[in-house]
Amino acid sequence: MPPRIQSRSVSNTLLPYLTAPSSSSSSLSSLPSLSSTSSQCLSRQFSATAAPQGQTKLRRQMFEWLNNEGSVFKHHVPGEANYLTRLKQRGPETAEKSRPFPNNQSFFSEPILSEELRNEVYNRVVEQKKSVRIVSVELGIDMKRIAAVVRLVELEKRQRTQGKPLALPYARAIHEMVPTTPLAEKGERQTYHEPINDLPAHPLTGSQIFYPVPESRSFNRVEAGRVFSGAPAMEHSEAAEINHPSDLAEKIIEDPNSIGWVGKGANARQILQPADVRIPHPHMVALERDRLANPNERLAVADLQSKRLERQDAIEQARRERIQARREKKLTVVSPEESRFDYRIKDTIYTKETTGADGRGSKAAGRRYGVPHRDRTRGEVKIPTRVEA
Amino acid sequence: MVLRIRLARFGNKHNPFFNIVVAQARSARGAKPLEVIGTYNPIPKRPTNLYDENAEARPYKEISLDRSRAKYWLGVGAQPSDPVWKLMGMAGLVAPKPTTYDKA
Repeated sequence: MPPRIQSRSVSNTLLPYLTAPSSSSSSLSSLPSLSSTSSQCLSRQFSATAAPQGQTKLRRQMFEWLNNEGSVFKHHVPGEANYLTRLKQRGPETAEKSRPFPNNQSFFSEPILSEELRNEVYNRVVEQKKSVRIVSVELGIDMKRIAAVVRLVELEKRQRTQGKPLALPYARAIHEMVPTTPLAEKGERQTYHEPINDLPAHPLTGSQIFYPVPESRSFNRVEAGRVFSGAPAMEHSEAAEINHPSDLAEKIIEDPNSIGWVGKGANARQILQPADVRIPHPHMVALERDRLANPNERLAVADLQSKRLERQDAIEQARRERIQARREKKLTVVSPEESRFDYRIKDTIYTKETTGADGRGSKAAGRRYGVPHRDRTRGEVKIPTRVEA
Repeated sequence: MVLRIRLARFGNKHNPFFNIVVAQARSARGAKPLEVIGTYNPIPKRPTNLYDENAEARPYKEISLDRSRAKYWLGVGAQPSDPVWKLMGMAGLVAPKPTTYDKA
């Protein structure tokens, strides 16, 4: 006969669980009673080391700090950042205000969009139907952020109509505690939220190339891009046509196919364009050049710029519609009644051009045979990089 | 020898993906087919609820198919397997597969 557990201890330890009613909330509330009824049972020690009596030194110091110096942080001052650096601050330094970490002097917290500014973004894009590019320049907000703001405000509006709860007190408290970019009053100049014309470093430009060029030849950013992507140098006549690298931007917006290609088959890559073309707002360079050329005709230059933007926006809009129409033409959506799903049937082409001579071409439909599937190679991006909305 | 239009499984465990292939009926599922004329992804995708019109949209499955090649192979007597028959029926290339309800 195996040894029996004493009946008294069994009733003590299991009592809360045996008598617990079915609902979980009441069983939770019965747990504290455990300590009182079976304190003898719970005080049994699993470790030979005695538990520290009272508080540790660090914990004592923490409470000391919280009750004396740190008590100022318990309630934030509305409209001011509630950062630890406030303690050290002697005098109103603006740089000190945006530093949350006292021991990390190189970190600055960036401002977020204020409620008014984000509503203004939505208003200009959706209601006034201005292009994202123009709103970005007007308000000094990155184009990606503009797109995100529009999507999120849309979502918020829908949640309001559906009567879903919004975390408004939380949002209000956060907006009071972190720096924000306000919307300019009427007639004032809008402060830029962030630099909008930043250019990410292209991986091709990372390599160091020794490329001797004769002194007699011009060598500018356009030529450098060709060297980085391994393309042959331009013809002299072709190079002479380019007055300034930013002229290429307009040409490429009008005809994106004017960018040349290097490499063959699956390795074909577009030739690296100069920074003047790749920046988010190439038209700003053009505007600045116009201003320098005609310093006394501000109105005429501004007029020219707005016309240029309108023209470029119209071209881009037309191209977007053309691509969308082409995609829709290739796509048939079937929704069978008996099925839970829709089926999107896309047209593909199986020819020698798509599959290649050896049948391993990258343009053909389907997974390839006899080609290693590189889904686990290093550096392969597995998370989705785009969302079909 | 009978030609079949059938599915060839690719993808990993719990992550199926099919090529719609034209192959000899007696050849192995993973063998190199005569032609790959399309793909079928059986994992349904959910439309994003970013837009109001998407709110009640059903999840969808993606098929890609070269219709002209499919028509050619059907014309020379290739026989679609049951799952491919179902897909091609939806694409309107063959008469839809009769259900047991229709037969009775």
